[in-house]
Amino acid sequence: MICDDFTAERIGLAALLAAIAPVGDFGRRYADRFVPYGPGDETRATTAIAEVMAIARAMTDDGVAAIRSALRAVPDPAPLLARARGGDVPSDVDLYELSRFVASLARVRLACEAGGLGGDRMPPDADDLRALLAPGQTSYGFALAHAFDPRLAPARAALDAAQGRLDVERNARFDALAEVLGSRPHDDEFVVLRDAVAALPRTVRIVRETPTYYLCTLVLDGTLLANTRDRDAVFDALANIEEEVRARLGDAVAAEYANVLFTTDALGALDCFLARVAFAQRYGGCTPRFAARRVAIVDATFVPLRESLAAARRPHIPIALAFDGTAVLTGPNMGGKSAALATCAFLILCAMYGVPPPAASATLPLPARIAWLGGESSSDRGRLLSSFGADVVRAASILRDDVSQLILIDEFARTTGPREGRALVLAFVRALVRRGSVALVATHFDGIADAAEVTHLAVAGIATTFPAIADGDLTAALDALAAAMDYRIVAVGSQAAPRSDALALAALLGMDAEVVADARREYER
Amino acid sequence: MLDVKAATGGEALYETVADAASIAVVGTAKNVGKTVTTRALVRTFTERGATIGLTSIGRDGELADALDGAAKPRLFVRPGMLVATAREVLARSPGCEIVETLGASALGTIAIVRVLHAAYLEIAGAPTAAGLRAIVARLRAHGAMPAIVDGAIDRIAALAGGDDAIVVATGAESGATVEAVARVAADLVARLRLPAATDDERAACDERIDGALDALHADRLFASVAGRIVIVRDPTRVAIRGRTFARLCAHVRLRCDRDLRVVACTTSPLARGHVLDARALVAAVARATGCPTFDVLAGLAA
Repeated sequence: MICDDFTAERIGLAALLAAIAPVGDFGRRYADRFVPYGPGDETRATTAIAEVMAIARAMTDDGVAAIRSALRAVPDPAPLLARARGGDVPSDVDLYELSRFVASLARVRLACEAGGLGGDRMPPDADDLRALLAPGQTSYGFALAHAFDPRLAPARAALDAAQGRLDVERNARFDALAEVLGSRPHDDEFVVLRDAVAALPRTVRIVRETPTYYLCTLVLDGTLLANTRDRDAVFDALANIEEEVRARLGDAVAAEYANVLFTTDALGALDCFLARVAFAQRYGGCTPRFAARRVAIVDATFVPLRESLAAARRPHIPIALAFDGTAVLTGPNMGGKSAALATCAFLILCAMYGVPPPAASATLPLPARIAWLGGESSSDRGRLLSSFGADVVRAASILRDDVSQLILIDEFARTTGPREGRALVLAFVRALVRRGSVALVATHFDGIADAAEVTHLAVAGIATTFPAIADGDLTAALDALAAAMDYRIVAVGSQAAPRSDALALAALLGMDAEVVADARREYER
Repeated sequence: MLDVKAATGGEALYETVADAASIAVVGTAKNVGKTVTTRALVRTFTERGATIGLTSIGRDGELADALDGAAKPRLFVRPGMLVATAREVLARSPGCEIVETLGASALGTIAIVRVLHAAYLEIAGAPTAAGLRAIVARLRAHGAMPAIVDGAIDRIAALAGGDDAIVVATGAESGATVEAVARVAADLVARLRLPAATDDERAACDERIDGALDALHADRLFASVAGRIVIVRDPTRVAIRGRTFARLCAHVRLRCDRDLRVVACTTSPLARGHVLDARALVAAVARATGCPTFDVLAGLAA
């Protein structure tokens, strides 16, 4: 497990998995087996991501979509093959599904060729299976054709002939009855109204007698009986031959089990690969450099945030930041500190899943786990912990975990007294430094970076003054904030003056002007 | 008194449905001759060279009723016919051409097959309206004209439309007397023939009922102002019957979005416990429903 549910929610794991979800059953099975890259997998991850990037650049979106569409339509032959291996004789519907698999596979290969995707990514053909089923291919589907066995054609002709003789005999009796009864029966069972005849002919047997009519059937004797027996015997003979042919095909199909599994595995791999390619085509990306303790990203996108902003018709501003080991991130409320943490984590998550991180460039660690500290989860509420209590429990757990971790800390200890809170954060950062952790610590407490002697990053913050906003117009306030906020993250010196954008934000978001003025006086005193 | 004439098998019934792209046969009860009616339609269309498609809602064509064990008429299919049935009940011999698989029923994937050699078949089609709609569309896409559905009243809304026809099968299993059977048939036909709302009625609609129009709805509507326009999605959503339905129709303008085309009735005078007069039954049902009515076994029409 690369992170707990709380962290997963914060860093967009579900969104990433949805964005790279395969379209077919084989892909889903392949994805279930995928183990995210971790420490020691840097070369494999680089190779995988580089291949995704190369194909994303080489192929058109339409070309990728066409192959994925073809992949979606491939039926799963595995259950049928498993039954065949178990000795079950396949039905014609089973054989049709297999032939559909072969045809769908051919369409995938055609789409790959048309899209320029070849080499190892091209799934192998199922030549033997195609050849096996070819005699049964029809314009629309599949039939147990005569070509499968020389006995089929004569056996079927015999059945048709026997049925024909039976029909002729039965129709002759119906015609004869028409003269007696006044109307011609058409089916095995027919009704004769009592008042229509004085007496029923001997060729008719009463199945049920009512006050108004007789429900009748033909007496099965003489030629009719012989023809019926003949038809049934011919039918049985045909049924035996057809089952023999199906059994033979079933054995041959079972022998293809390993080849078909190899092919479906290749289809699954292709499906997962193209899902990553489609992601890169949609969001951009890069082949990252891996470094054990450095995070350096340029024009990086936290995809879930970008999608949310797009849905609200708001622009997304990619971010850039760089630090080694542990760093502290400060800045105004609503300046993007949490988003910066999530962006770092999301890019690393992408790399762990072999997905090009959505950034112009990225130098990243490849940790075994990602942990987020800060904020309350539903499970914390279930455990009756306060926000501070939940933070402390999670912080203790992070320090106990001795695997390689990326740690994101979002305003740890913000809900306790400021003096103790600052002391706790500082001590925690120092502990992370001593452990050599890769961590980004967002906080409003002053002087943490200097005191812990780590890199201090800051959101540039509000760059201009806000225009006057009508009371209660939150949309206009958010527009004004977006226009005024400089979301860049910059390294700041050790003597950097703390920013006081909170009061300006409070005013923008509709806080009573007198209250804000009073707060400003208090702050500056 | 309506004139009851001799009418050969399904010939007369055929004339009432000859132009339909799909035909659903629905029954007022179990064992009222749905499959007998279906079989007559299959035979008459086949004799005229039509490529028919055949399916059912649920299970039909088996030797005995899966629920009560009563003997059931089997369906005999001829080369060229298209049949949609669950793969689990598809006869293995003689082999058919499998042209498509789709969806799923309680008995597994539905296979659309082209019959290559004459045989008896059991048919178990899609259990849902949506599944039925998909199957009928695919049968037609493969060239079936018409698609014949051995149906169920609560699922046939899928077939609402101008080219689709409904045949109501009724019989002695629906009532102890000719009059009782006719009443049941008339009630069902009246509900299925609920008129479609006009554009003006849609614009002036007072109440739209998305689910079933049940007795509680009816009770509330009786208490409301008379003449209100009430629209349900289709006639199968009307869950009230008999006098309640008739009174409601007199009190409000009950309309539907998608109407159904009931074109004929068929009758079966045989029940397991009693027998009705075949001629009287055909005449009574025709009179009560206003539909051309046929006893396809006895060769009667009214």
